[in-house]
Amino acid sequence: MSSKFDAGKVAEIHQHLHSHLPSESALRVKALETLLVDRGLVNPQTIDAWVEAYTDQIGPKRGARVVARAWMDAEYKKRLLQDAPAAIDELGYLGKATAHLKVVENTDQVHNLVVCTLCSCYPFSILGVAPAWYKAAAYRSRAVRDPRGVLAEFGVTIDDDIEVRVWDSTAELRYLVLPQCPPGAEDLSEDALTELVSRNSMIGTDRNLVKS
Amino acid sequence: MDGIHDLGGKQGYGPVEVDADETPFHHDWEAREWGLAQSARTPGITIDWWRHCRELIAPEDYLGRPYFDSWAQTDFATYIEAGWMTVEDIGRPDAVGVGAEDDPPPALTLQQVLQEDHSHACRFDAEIDAEPLFVVGQQVITASHGHAGHTRLPQYARGRRGTIQACNGAHVFPDLSARGIEIHQYCYSVMFTADELWAEASGSRDKVFLDLWESYLSDDNE
Repeated sequence: MSSKFDAGKVAEIHQHLHSHLPSESALRVKALETLLVDRGLVNPQTIDAWVEAYTDQIGPKRGARVVARAWMDAEYKKRLLQDAPAAIDELGYLGKATAHLKVVENTDQVHNLVVCTLCSCYPFSILGVAPAWYKAAAYRSRAVRDPRGVLAEFGVTIDDDIEVRVWDSTAELRYLVLPQCPPGAEDLSEDALTELVSRNSMIGTDRNLVKS
Repeated sequence: MDGIHDLGGKQGYGPVEVDADETPFHHDWEAREWGLAQSARTPGITIDWWRHCRELIAPEDYLGRPYFDSWAQTDFATYIEAGWMTVEDIGRPDAVGVGAEDDPPPALTLQQVLQEDHSHACRFDAEIDAEPLFVVGQQVITASHGHAGHTRLPQYARGRRGTIQACNGAHVFPDLSARGIEIHQYCYSVMFTADELWAEASGSRDKVFLDLWESYLSDDNE
């Protein structure tokens, strides 16, 4: 039993599935889980553990910790910009989809924005599960063509003299935006800084973080 | 493949539905599908084949169904194509499947899956004998045409002039990986000015970066 990598056959299978699958998403996923358990391919308790991992342990708090450390420690920031996988692994955060991570830094002159126009590539082990809008057609279609318009919908206005750099994740490289440290926050502890880092600022749909 | 998935630059999808909620899953079935996808993948397939199978979903389903639902549909398709189940088995839990008599995989604990996440930091690069064809700063032009299979050169960046920003090493070439063939080819970060890509961006200072394989690119001066 192995794939023949037969795209024509898969297109046919999708047509059959269109009319054959249960009508609701919940029932379709249940049917899949039932069959995979039956085939001895999946243990349901392992599914539980993965859900718990990405609900309670792995998420944007990890990315925020990386950002806060880079703000506090110039040497760490240097390592992060040069070799992000090694730098995040100092915190134990290397994992799913981050072996080829690149960190791109916002400055007074540059704003970075990350998208995956072809699917939904995302650096899971430091940001967790991608937000719904990141995976939706509106964001995927427009981020490369009208980034300033998209940012405005997130309440972010980019001055004309700032260059917007959009990173379309077409390969196994993944991107994390290093936002700027909010003014006046330089003396806070790493824990306090972590609280100031929004998930969206690490994707690029947030820019001007504030000291709360 | 010039499919529905190739969304970059397409118009008419409306404003982004900004949602401040950072809950990873909004329905239990989304969490189950996420967990399923992490727990098992069709034996012997590649990430690029899985992506291609998702691209092959009928356009109305690709756009019309929730995101994790499309993962489930893709999983069904890859397992069925590889012979692990049939369309007719769905909803018939009594159907005896191949592999059903094997011992089920062990139940992993939270600590074990956290370990596994760490060890799933898969690398896709390798040392190859060839030297990179392009150097940083070189002007390149992308291929004008795609092909019917899986590719990571989006339509909006075809036949466009860009500048090599970085060489990322030799990475698994997705167009062949989607057919089960693993070769490595240099992959470059290529910078395009917004006005090279979009008519309405004339005079813009903005830039778009894509990671593109060597065979998508030619020297712009040739």
